Amino acid sequence: MRALIGSELLKIRTTRGWWGYLIVIVLLTGIAVAGDIGSTKNAARGTLEFQLGLVETAGIAALLAIILGITITATEFRHGTITPTFLAAPHRERVIGAKATASAIVALLFTVIAFAVVAAVALTWLSLVDAEIHFGDGAVATKAAQALLVVVLWALLGVAVGSLVHNQVVALVGTLVWVFLGEALLSGFFGLIGIDGAAGYLPFQALDAADGTGGNQLLSYGPAVAVSLGWVALLSAAGTERTRRRDIT
Amino acid sequence: MIEVAGLSKRFGKTQAVAGLSFRVEPGTITGFLGPNGAGKSTTLRAVLGLVHPDAGGATVLGVPYRELDRPLHRVGAVLEASEVHPGRSGRNHLRVLAAAAGIPRSRVEEVLALVELSAPAKRRVKGYSLGMRQRLGLAAALLGDPEVLVLDEPANGLDPAGIRWLRDLLRSLAAEGRTILVSSHVLSEVAQTVDRVVIIHRGTLIQQASIAEVLAGAQGATRVRSPEAHRLHDLLAAQGAKVTEVDEGTLVADLPPARIGELAAANAIVLHELTVERATLEEVFLELTAGKTTE
Repeated sequence: MRALIGSELLKIRTTRGWWGYLIVIVLLTGIAVAGDIGSTKNAARGTLEFQLGLVETAGIAALLAIILGITITATEFRHGTITPTFLAAPHRERVIGAKATASAIVALLFTVIAFAVVAAVALTWLSLVDAEIHFGDGAVATKAAQALLVVVLWALLGVAVGSLVHNQVVALVGTLVWVFLGEALLSGFFGLIGIDGAAGYLPFQALDAADGTGGNQLLSYGPAVAVSLGWVALLSAAGTERTRRRDIT
Repeated sequence: MIEVAGLSKRFGKTQAVAGLSFRVEPGTITGFLGPNGAGKSTTLRAVLGLVHPDAGGATVLGVPYRELDRPLHRVGAVLEASEVHPGRSGRNHLRVLAAAAGIPRSRVEEVLALVELSAPAKRRVKGYSLGMRQRLGLAAALLGDPEVLVLDEPANGLDPAGIRWLRDLLRSLAAEGRTILVSSHVLSEVAQTVDRVVIIHRGTLIQQASIAEVLAGAQGATRVRSPEAHRLHDLLAAQGAKVTEVDEGTLVADLPPARIGELAAANAIVLHELTVERATLEEVFLELTAGKTTE
């Protein structure tokens, strides 16, 4: 299993997309943090609450983590590399497991890089304007840990989606449409039929609440993490079964 | 070594393989032949655990592929040349597979040298020719130094020099005691290399034999030239032979030359030429698969 995880990490590192991910994370996080600080009055910049919000911007890594998870799985079907992959490891569930582990490791790395960008931009700017800095506060560490967990969950969900929907374009576009539009529409529909609370159980609503910000406040932190884990487990099981059954032609 | 038993597989409305059984003997090079669409790739993929059969199954080295311990060390396979990520270099493609199979990096360099790809190995596969991709596929198959090799149309995309190179490589691999199953829709590509052939058509077995047996079983013909070709034609036809006039004064009949000579002598017909026409393997192959095609 360790060999398979190593192989998956090598697959990620040996395509150009890898640099794309790193550049996008650094740029997006940098712009978000700078924008946040720049648009806030100096008095508010020194508060713990504001700086917790800065740490949260590292959550941008979640979007890249799910794209990575989908891509490392579906791309093998797109380019046919799934054939040599399964010849080397005919127990397909192990390949999915290795992909999940590798994507989790890379998701952690993405988040750590995002934290580093947040810290670099925020500490420089805040010290230049003489704002009080709270990055040593326990609440910041908690927020960071919650962000790490949630980014890993997004990555795992990506691998699950990629193993369920083997068409890379459909998987990527479908997921992004679902994240940015599908759940909002469904939430509205739930409201119409009087079951507003059900929206909190949708996968990305739950993940939103599981990053420690509370999301739309439909679920509190513990249940949100539990529901998110449930979705990851359900979709992973379905994706693994689908991939096990598939004829690789 | 490789045993296919009662293998059937249907894709939608197409019955790709229908109750196919054959054996590949250890230490031989076996040609797996059939026209395009005969079910060769489906069969090979079922042997390798990539396609789930509807009925029957296949074993490699006595067990289903999935149950092999360290499969790349036992069986090497070359399927489609395009099964490489275009953005990855040839070397990295092999390193990824080596990592999954616990094969040291030094072996990657060895197989790259063996297939003569060391120089372009750092380039992205996107820029490779089909022939280079085929050789990269061969390199991948040889990573684990396997005792069994399965190759699906490895000559596709190779130029004549490449085909000769492949033939020599397969021979030297077989000389090391490996078992090789190589598919092709063009018999001449493999005829000089293989010991045995398994011929399939429309998913069913047509023949499984040694090359010599296939040739021996082929219908021979005799070419005869005579100034009295018309009289000879009628005479041979009267004997129940199938006779065709291939040229002015030249006939081809499905009778042995001795019989034709005797008939000519008995009827005082002068012969200018009497030669055995040996059917080529290619003709045998076409004959075996002819009349069974509806496409």
